[in-house]
Amino acid sequence: MQNINNWLKSNTFHHSQFKDISRLVEEKEKQGVTISLCIPTLNEEKTIGKEVVIFKSELMDRYPLIDELAVIDSGSTDRTLEVAASFGADVYLSADILPEMGAKRGKGENLWKAIYQLKGDIIVYVDADIKNIHPRFVYGLVAPLIYRREIKYVKAFYDRPLALSGQIRPSGGGRVTEILIRPLFSLFFPELTALVQPLSGEYAARREILEKIPFPIGYGVETSHLIDVYSEWGLEALAQTDLDRRVHRHQATRDLGKMAFGILRVFFKRLKQREIVECLPELPTLLRQFQAKGEQYEQIVYEIFEEERPPMIEVDAYCNQH
Amino acid sequence: MNENEMSRILEYVRSLSFDLEKLREILLANLVLIGEIPSPTGEEQNRIAFLEERWAEYGLLDCATDELGNGVAILPGQKGDSTILLVAHADTPFALTEDHTYSVNSSRVFGPGVADNSLGVAVLSSLPLFFEKLNIQLQSDLCFLVPVRHLDQGDQEGLKFFLGNIKNPVDAAIVVEGAQLGRLNFRSMATLGGKITCQINRRISQESAINVLCHVVSRLNKMDLPQENHTLLTLGAIEGGVSYKYPARNGELKFQIRSNSGQTIEKITGVIYNILDDIALQPGVSAHLTPIAHTSSGGLDSSHPFVLAARQIQATLDIVPQDSIYSPAISAFAEYNIPGLCIGITLAENINYLDEFIEIEPIMKGVAQLIGILMAIDGGLRCKTSTTG
Repeated sequence: MQNINNWLKSNTFHHSQFKDISRLVEEKEKQGVTISLCIPTLNEEKTIGKEVVIFKSELMDRYPLIDELAVIDSGSTDRTLEVAASFGADVYLSADILPEMGAKRGKGENLWKAIYQLKGDIIVYVDADIKNIHPRFVYGLVAPLIYRREIKYVKAFYDRPLALSGQIRPSGGGRVTEILIRPLFSLFFPELTALVQPLSGEYAARREILEKIPFPIGYGVETSHLIDVYSEWGLEALAQTDLDRRVHRHQATRDLGKMAFGILRVFFKRLKQREIVECLPELPTLLRQFQAKGEQYEQIVYEIFEEERPPMIEVDAYCNQH
Repeated sequence: MNENEMSRILEYVRSLSFDLEKLREILLANLVLIGEIPSPTGEEQNRIAFLEERWAEYGLLDCATDELGNGVAILPGQKGDSTILLVAHADTPFALTEDHTYSVNSSRVFGPGVADNSLGVAVLSSLPLFFEKLNIQLQSDLCFLVPVRHLDQGDQEGLKFFLGNIKNPVDAAIVVEGAQLGRLNFRSMATLGGKITCQINRRISQESAINVLCHVVSRLNKMDLPQENHTLLTLGAIEGGVSYKYPARNGELKFQIRSNSGQTIEKITGVIYNILDDIALQPGVSAHLTPIAHTSSGGLDSSHPFVLAARQIQATLDIVPQDSIYSPAISAFAEYNIPGLCIGITLAENINYLDEFIEIEPIMKGVAQLIGILMAIDGGLRCKTSTTG
């Protein structure tokens, strides 16, 4: 617990600590590091335009903090790529990157392929469905990596209430975090409970870390990253930044069930790999949910594989390129 | 300014919108960041604070808020012997509680207040950087003013306060509105914006306030409005009652009368008071007029050099001119004898509704127009002219 308390004090930040972007750029240039921003998309035409405009103008044109702004798309059927390109983003179809490795559908696939496609020493991932987008979503995550070399992976959390009374208030994540992830972390990786929102889709990491960890292609990518980075480099390599508030689409409970299923498959796989749990049976890939039709109940079955991509460093094409 | 100088400006302006296209994202980002800060009349402080931060970063002098909360900054000119005032009001007609999220697609920006007047404010926040990137430096000082309490009941209070208290003289003013591109207003009509409220005393009367307001509307529409001085009545908003099943106990009608003649406005105001007095004869029914905003008539003549220069610049950029030369935005300048123009930056629809949007494509043409007019005025200030009241 002492380690958690120390970590919360030393490795938890608020974005306002880093609002002097010119100082951040100066430090970045002094270190000679480059930063790539990756926005994974699938049918995000309503929000992508604003994200690209804000990030390009504020963090490329106004302050040269990011060196590359890329949208990696899973095959949108709307105008996501057209809108993103019209405001100056580099746009890629995930399937066109490393085509010899095949194309799989899932956010984790885009994040993984970004490591191959993008050039930055630091890659920052920001979801495309954020309605209240602001430059802090990038500089708040990148800054701890620039100012503290021992930090390797920075996760976003969203916690600023409208008024602070000084009294105790609950601080936490969404439904899946509170009823699945935090209990699991408490049981098996207690130190990881210090991450306020382990499932947040915004994070920044050093390439040297990203290329060495596997990427589940679906729901489990955030959970697996935390376990893998923690297991290999320790809690000190992780940090988190409060980005205040994130307005986004609300997910239906049924969809959260699918997410939880994917996360559990990834989680159990890691328990088995680390021999934390013995005699784990072969895990099925079918999630069963139910719905009522008149007086009849019927089963809906979803197949969720939660496949994983290997660490990029094991891919020949990547090693040849780097 | 001689013809050669004007030709040079027109030549420059022709290529300007192309050069400005490269800076489009800067303006769009400022537009979104500014527009998403709620700024209802009287609560504009967060929007002003954002602007000041921007202006300070671009090295403008005297970035400050005045006693009323107006945002002000100065971009010094090479000579600084005259001052051009650039104005874009800070407030929007949307409450703090509305969803101020903006969205951007490849051709439009959507959001409450995007045209009126987040875009105008975004232009003022971006212009110093555009000048730097395009190596433009005026001879005159450029004073940026983003006034508060401008709309409706605000009655241009921020602008009037500034003009009434500024120490250095202002030689010319341009009001920047988000829309519509093509407007060129240089005169103001006399106007009265008013609110008629009706209340029914339930102990005495079962009348519906809506019926009473309908009666008022009918009488207003029958008023004889003199056409020779372009007198117009606009019925802007009406509301009343709380439920479908009870007669409305109260109601409210907002309207505006505009005319070239201040005397006509005074006369019509008297007629409205008479109508309300008649209505108040019914037992248990009361109706009152509350003036919201006044402007007086005045402004520039069509032959004023600033007007002619602005028309030439619009024509050079193929901007389709809009009909009206009148805007209440000119009124305060006319009162202080400052030559003033009001222009729009792009095309917009659903203005002052939650589904308001602007077109992206014409924006930089609108900005080129503004820069051209500034350059023309900067040259033209060497031969000063006055306004007519």
